[in-house]
Amino acid sequence: MSDSADSEILDIADLDQEAWQDYAIEQGWSDGLPLVMPTEASVARMVAAAHGDNEGFAPISPRQVVPTMASLAANAVMAGAKPAYFPTILAGLRGILDPSYNLHGSMATTHSCAPMVMINGPLRQALGVNCSSNCFGQGWRANASIGRAIQLILLNVGGGKPGVMDRSTQGSPAKYAFCFGENEEECPWLPFHVRRGFAPEDSVVTVMSGEAPHNINDHGSTSAEGLMTTFAHTIAQPGANTVYGKGPYMVVVGPEHAATFHRDGWGVDKLRDELWLRARIPLKHISEENLATYAATGHHPTGDFLTICRGPDDIHIAMAGGPGKHSAFIPSFGGTAVVSTRVKLPSAGG
Amino acid sequence: MRIVNPGFGLTPAGAEQATEGKVDWLNDPIVLFGNSKPNARELLEGVKAKLAGIRRTDNIEFIAKNSASQGAPLEMINDAAKKYRIALLALGD
Repeated sequence: MSDSADSEILDIADLDQEAWQDYAIEQGWSDGLPLVMPTEASVARMVAAAHGDNEGFAPISPRQVVPTMASLAANAVMAGAKPAYFPTILAGLRGILDPSYNLHGSMATTHSCAPMVMINGPLRQALGVNCSSNCFGQGWRANASIGRAIQLILLNVGGGKPGVMDRSTQGSPAKYAFCFGENEEECPWLPFHVRRGFAPEDSVVTVMSGEAPHNINDHGSTSAEGLMTTFAHTIAQPGANTVYGKGPYMVVVGPEHAATFHRDGWGVDKLRDELWLRARIPLKHISEENLATYAATGHHPTGDFLTICRGPDDIHIAMAGGPGKHSAFIPSFGGTAVVSTRVKLPSAGG
Repeated sequence: MRIVNPGFGLTPAGAEQATEGKVDWLNDPIVLFGNSKPNARELLEGVKAKLAGIRRTDNIEFIAKNSASQGAPLEMINDAAKKYRIALLALGD
């Protein structure tokens, strides 16, 4: 390997806070918000929190360079993360670098996708990850800085500069930070990571290249059947990327909706099967021009409908949020996967 | 003061660019490589029409990867590298 960008340590003039922010923006390091200065000491504390993690990283697209632990830690520091968050950030990054996630495609696309990051397991509580009211929103340092750190890594190491190599037509607020935890404590079903084969005591980060959450409001339905009608028709959107770029999607069920499904005997498999059958787009909702374009690229209707995924296995169900009659649909980029990675806790001596 | 460079990275081994030989832009075979996005073929047809004004076109051919969102298969890239000296890529919609 050879160094591809200056040096790992930069000797710069002494800067006060205001001058530092200006300098960082001039370097192209910022997402537009102020950054914490990545001093050698603060980066060393971050790196120490991953003590014993000696697994390498694949090159990060689109720039295709291999990060060092220090350059990753510098981005985590700049994002405002605590050192204790760093192993979780690294697990999220490893998921994003899995080939099935298709980082290069999801960075270069004109679609508005961003890395969705969901955390399961005991670290949610230990780190203070919000899994309840306003879990997709502001107010929690762990959610905000873990999601932001991953975005800054993609910007600064990966080279995903907006308008240059990040070609998104409109972008998304999810590109600042999109991190939440599953509300395992109120979930009537097995936690997401356990359903994927991890142990309950594992802490796991799940990533998907997705849009910001779309709200599913249903205050009136008091049965699983009624809720499914609302869920299916909210999800079946003719403007979804996955109309022609078939791929996964997430449904994050709010706890009150989850309780209704559970009371009526609907488990996760039932939800997925019903969504597969019902969340389909009637052809009359799709323009003739689009139908012709889809057909030309091999995407043909199923009867009178177009599906938005390949089958029930593409439909991923999690539970998060607080009181209220809302759930969320998170469409994906399409050419991506839902990737779950166990967090490596630091070994003794870190 | 000293800070850690947040953009620092290492170039992976084997990622060096090939610089073998010169390219003859007027005669070497060209592949017009489509990305399978809507209108990619039209964009590349326009490129070929422009090239017709300055060079031979009997050795300009089209190929396209089979997914707009996924990278081209390595085999397709290697085959193109063997057959053509120049590749022009459609990046637009």
